[in-house]
Amino acid sequence: MKLPAAPNVTRRSFVVSAGAATVIPPAAALVAGSAQAVAAAAHHPAHAAPAERTYLFFNVAEVQFIEAACERLIPADEPGAAALGAGALAAGVPNYLDRQLGGAWGAGERLYRSGPWIQGTPSQGYQLPFTPAELFRTALRAINTELAKRGPQFSELSAAAQDDYLKSLEKDNHDLDGVPSAVFFDMLLKMTVEGFFSDPVYGGNHDMVAWRMIGFPGAYADYYEAIDRHGVKFERVPLSIGADGHGHMHVQSEIPASVG
Amino acid sequence: MKYVLLLLLGAGVATAATPPPEAAACQACHGARGEGVVDGDKPRLAGQSAHYLDKQLQDFASGARDNAIMSAIARALNTQTRSKLAAYYAALPVPAALAVPTSLAVPTSLEHTTATAAQAGRGHQLAIEGAEGKRVQACNNCHGPEGSGVALSAPALAGQLAAYLAAQLKSFQQGSRKNDAGSLMRSVASQLDEADITAVASYYASIPSSH
Amino acid sequence: MVQQLKEVDVVVIGVGMVGSILAKELAAAGYKVVGLERGSTRFTVPEFQSPGIHDELRFDVRKALMQDNTREPVTFRNTSSQTGLPIRRWESFLPGTGLGGSMVHWNGQTYRFQANDFELATRTRERYGQGFLDPDVTIQDWGVTYDELEPHYDRFEYLLGTSGKAGNLKGQIQPGGDPHESPRSREYPTPPQKEHYSGALFRKAASSLGYHPFPQPSSNLSQPYTNPEGLKMNTCVFCGFCERYACEHYAKSTPQTFILPVLLANPNFELRTGCQVQRINLDSTKKRATGVTYIDNAGREFEQPAALVITCLFAINNIRMLLLSGIGKPYDPATGKGVVGRNYAYQTMSTVASFFDEDVIVNPFMASGASGTLINDFAGDNFDHSGLGFIGGAFIGAVNTNGRPIQYHPTPPGTPAWGKGWKDAVLKHYNHTIMFSLHGSSVSQRQNYADLDPTYKDAWGQPLLRITFDFPKNDLKMAEYVTARGAEIGKAMGAKQVAGNPRKAPYTTQQYQTTHNTGGTVMGNDPGTSVVNRYLQSWDVPNVFVIGASAYPQNASWNPTGTLGALTYWVADALKNKYLKNPGRLVSP
Repeated sequence: MKLPAAPNVTRRSFVVSAGAATVIPPAAALVAGSAQAVAAAAHHPAHAAPAERTYLFFNVAEVQFIEAACERLIPADEPGAAALGAGALAAGVPNYLDRQLGGAWGAGERLYRSGPWIQGTPSQGYQLPFTPAELFRTALRAINTELAKRGPQFSELSAAAQDDYLKSLEKDNHDLDGVPSAVFFDMLLKMTVEGFFSDPVYGGNHDMVAWRMIGFPGAYADYYEAIDRHGVKFERVPLSIGADGHGHMHVQSEIPASVG
Repeated sequence: MKYVLLLLLGAGVATAATPPPEAAACQACHGARGEGVVDGDKPRLAGQSAHYLDKQLQDFASGARDNAIMSAIARALNTQTRSKLAAYYAALPVPAALAVPTSLAVPTSLEHTTATAAQAGRGHQLAIEGAEGKRVQACNNCHGPEGSGVALSAPALAGQLAAYLAAQLKSFQQGSRKNDAGSLMRSVASQLDEADITAVASYYASIPSSH
Repeated sequence: MVQQLKEVDVVVIGVGMVGSILAKELAAAGYKVVGLERGSTRFTVPEFQSPGIHDELRFDVRKALMQDNTREPVTFRNTSSQTGLPIRRWESFLPGTGLGGSMVHWNGQTYRFQANDFELATRTRERYGQGFLDPDVTIQDWGVTYDELEPHYDRFEYLLGTSGKAGNLKGQIQPGGDPHESPRSREYPTPPQKEHYSGALFRKAASSLGYHPFPQPSSNLSQPYTNPEGLKMNTCVFCGFCERYACEHYAKSTPQTFILPVLLANPNFELRTGCQVQRINLDSTKKRATGVTYIDNAGREFEQPAALVITCLFAINNIRMLLLSGIGKPYDPATGKGVVGRNYAYQTMSTVASFFDEDVIVNPFMASGASGTLINDFAGDNFDHSGLGFIGGAFIGAVNTNGRPIQYHPTPPGTPAWGKGWKDAVLKHYNHTIMFSLHGSSVSQRQNYADLDPTYKDAWGQPLLRITFDFPKNDLKMAEYVTARGAEIGKAMGAKQVAGNPRKAPYTTQQYQTTHNTGGTVMGNDPGTSVVNRYLQSWDVPNVFVIGASAYPQNASWNPTGTLGALTYWVADALKNKYLKNPGRLVSP
C-alpha cells in the first residue's frame, strides 16, 4: 500500500497535524443519553490515521520503510478502516518505535555489552555488539541501499512485493552490513507487537485500538467480583496508565526500565 | 469522562431528558438532578456507575447493605425498575454547582472537623499513593484515575459528598457496612484514622467531576 | 582503601525471602545481624502502586524488577564442547534484585514437595530397580526427610497466609484437596482462591477422566489475613499482573507484606543496601570465615567481620559466591570430582493449548498468579513408571495467570507469524483459548553444572557464573508423556482444537520457562556428593551456611519456593538451638 510522501519534510518537522486524525472510542464507552457525549461523538469521526507522526529518531528514508513495513506486519483490515480494524500505522506503532529507539532502551539500557563477540548457537541468543538503535540504523541503511539497487523504495512497492521482501529478510538471513537480516526482522516484529499492544502511555496502541480489538481492559484491574461470572464477556472501555480522570491520555514514553 | 457500562434490560432505558416515574421517590432525598444533599447523608447519584448503583439497590433490598430507609425503598423495586433507575442516574451530568476548585478542599458539612490544606495534601497522598506505615494502598488503584471510578469494579469517588464518603469509611471501619466483596473496603478502612478519613473524603469531594 | 568495620554476630548476604526470615529469627534471638543487599529498598507504598505497576512493557518485556544484565549477567552453553556466552538479555529465567528479592514479583504458587522427593535416589531404586535410570543421571537423597520439614512447611505457609485446601490431614484424605500430597498437620491458613472459568472447565474434564483436580495453593490471598508476625494482608483481586510485578494491594505474600516491617523495626538488625558482596573472606586455614568484603554504590570497599556468614542469595548467585570465595571444591565434569556447581537443574515446562469457539469466553486477564486448578496424578512418583523409561512427572493444570497481550496472544499451530493471518487469528483466539501448564521435574545429570566463566566479567571485574545445561533425555521423555495426558484433558474439555507442545531439546535461554534454577550447592549426608550438610552448613567452612534452592540435589515437579521456605525455618531452628549455642560442625563428615 503506497503511503503519500510528505513534501519538503525534514526529520524534525515531519508532523501530521494532530487535529486531522483522532480515533474516538466506540459508542459503548460513552454515556448514552448524555447530551455532552452525543455532541462529542459528532465532532470526532472515526479515522484510521494515527494522531501523531513526529519522528525524532528515524530520518525520512527510514520512516518510509518503517511505516510501510509495520503496516504489513500488522495490517489494517482495509485502507481507512474503522478503529476496530486498525493496523500498526493507525495504532501509532512507528511512533512507539521511534521513541524506544531514540531513548534509553535504544541506547542499550539493560544490555550486557562486553566482548569478546562470538556468534553462538540459537540457544545462546543475541551476541552482537549493536545497541537496538545501532542495529536499526545499520540494517535500515543496508535495506534502503539494496532496494535502491533494484528499483523503487519499500513504500512504493505493492503490498505483495513488500510481503515478499519482508519474508526474504525473515527467512534467508542475508547480511545487512553486519546485521543478519533475520535478527533485524525478529526485532522489528517483536517491537511492532510491543508497539501495538503496550500501554498507550508509550506512544503506541493509539487510543487503545489494540486493546479494544481483543477486549483487554488495561491498567486498572480489579476483577474480584467479575471472576465469578464464568463465561460472561467483560465489557469495559480499557483504561491506560496515562489516563486522567477526564478521559485524556498523557503519553510519557521515557519510563525507566528499572525500579529503585 | 466516566467509563460506565449500561445495563440495558429490555425496554426501560431512560435518557437525560425523561426521568422514569419511579425517580420521583429518589429525587425527594437525592435532589432533583441526583446531586445529593450537602449537610445530609444522601449521596450524589448523578454520574455514578450504573453497575454500582444497581448493586447497592440489590444489597439494600436483600439486607446485605443496612439502611432502614433505603431497604424499604429498594425492596419495593423490581429488577427491571432497579436497572432503569441505575441507568438513568448514571447518565445524569454532575451539576456544575457542585464543582469545587481542587486548591480548596474544605468540605462544608463534616460534623467534627474542617479540613485544612495539610489534610487535603494527605487526602491526595492516600488517593494516589497510599501509606506504607498504615499498610494502605492508593485508593485510585481500584477507584480509577482521579477517583473517577472503574466500570464493573469500583464506584466513582470524585465529586462525591465529603460527609457521605467519611460516613461510609466509618461504617466499613466499624463493620456496619459489609457489602464490599472480599472485605476490600473493610480492610482499607480498618487501617485509617479519623484524620485520614477526613482528609481523603474532602480530597475526593473537591475533585471537579467532568462529565 | 578497604574500610574495616566492627565485627557483628551474623552477616546475611542477600535480603530476599531467605535473608529476611533468617535475619528476623536471629535478631529476635538477640544476635547482631547485618543484612547486605546489592539492590535498593522498595515497599508496597510507593514503589508497587498502580496504575504504574500494571505496565506490561516495563515489567514483563523490559524486566524492570530484574537483575541488570549490564552489571551481572550469567554465561551459558548447552554442553562443555561449546563456549559459554553471556546472556545479554534475560528471557529463560529472570533473577530478581533488591530488598525482598524475587519473591516481590513471584506468582505465589506455593507447594510442598512430597516425601518421596527427599529420598528420591533410595525410593527410585527400591521401586524400579538399580538399572532403571540413565547412567548419567545423578539424583540423590537430600539428607532431610519430609517429616522433619513438615512443621517448617506449616510455619512458612502460616507466615504467608497461603490459600488452599488440604488433601491429606495427618493421613486422612480430604475431599477437594490433593489426595497425593504428603500428610500435613493442619489446614491451609486461608481457604482457596476463587476458581477461574478455565479451572472449572479443567476440573470437570479431569474428573471425568478419573483424575483428582484441586485448587492451586496460592499466596495471593483469598481473604484478609493477619500472620503470626502480626502483619495484615488483604484479599487478592485477580488483577492479572502477578509474576514480574509487585502487588499494590498488600495481597501477595512477599517479604514486604509478611515480615520486613518486623525485621526492620528490630534494632539488632541493620540493613545495608547498594552493597555488592565480592566474596566471603577466609582465614589462613581456609576452614573459618572471617567475614565478607563488599563494595557499595559509591564504589567504596568494606570488610565486614562476622562470626557467622549466611549466604541467602538466589540459587545461581549462591554457587558463584562460594566459587569466588574458594569455599568447597569446584566440580569438574570431566573428572567427576568436586562438588560446587554440581547437580545444577532447572524445570521442564510444557504446554497444552485448547482452542474453543467464540461462545466460550475465557477472560484470561482475570487471574492471580496462582488461581489455577491442577492435578498431581502425573507428578513425581504418583504414577507407576514401569516400562515408561523415565522418572519424574509434572503437575498439569489450567493455570491461567494473565492475559497481558504483548506476550499472551495464543494462536493455533500453522498461524503465520505476522500479517493479516496473524492478526485475524489473535482476534479470533485471544478470549477463547485455555492454556495448560505442565510443570515438570528436572533430574540432575553429570554434564549439567555451573562454574566460573574464564572470559566474561561483571561490572566489578569478577568472573561471571557459567551454566552448562541441557535437558536430560529422562526429562524429555517425561515431557512427551505428560503432554499427551494433558492433551487428553484438553479434548475432554470439548475444545475444538488441542495443541500439545512438549518441551524439546536443546534448552534455550531465549524463551521464558521458569526461574526455578536449582542445585550447585547441594545438601546431603555425604561430603563427596554435597556442598552442605543437612543443615545447609558448609562441609568445608562450618561458620558458613548456604541457603537457597541451590541446595536441591534435583528439582521436583513443583515450584521450589515453598520448600525453600521450609528449609529456611529448618535452618533457623538449627542455628538458634544448635549452632549458635555451640559453634562447630553440626554433622561429622
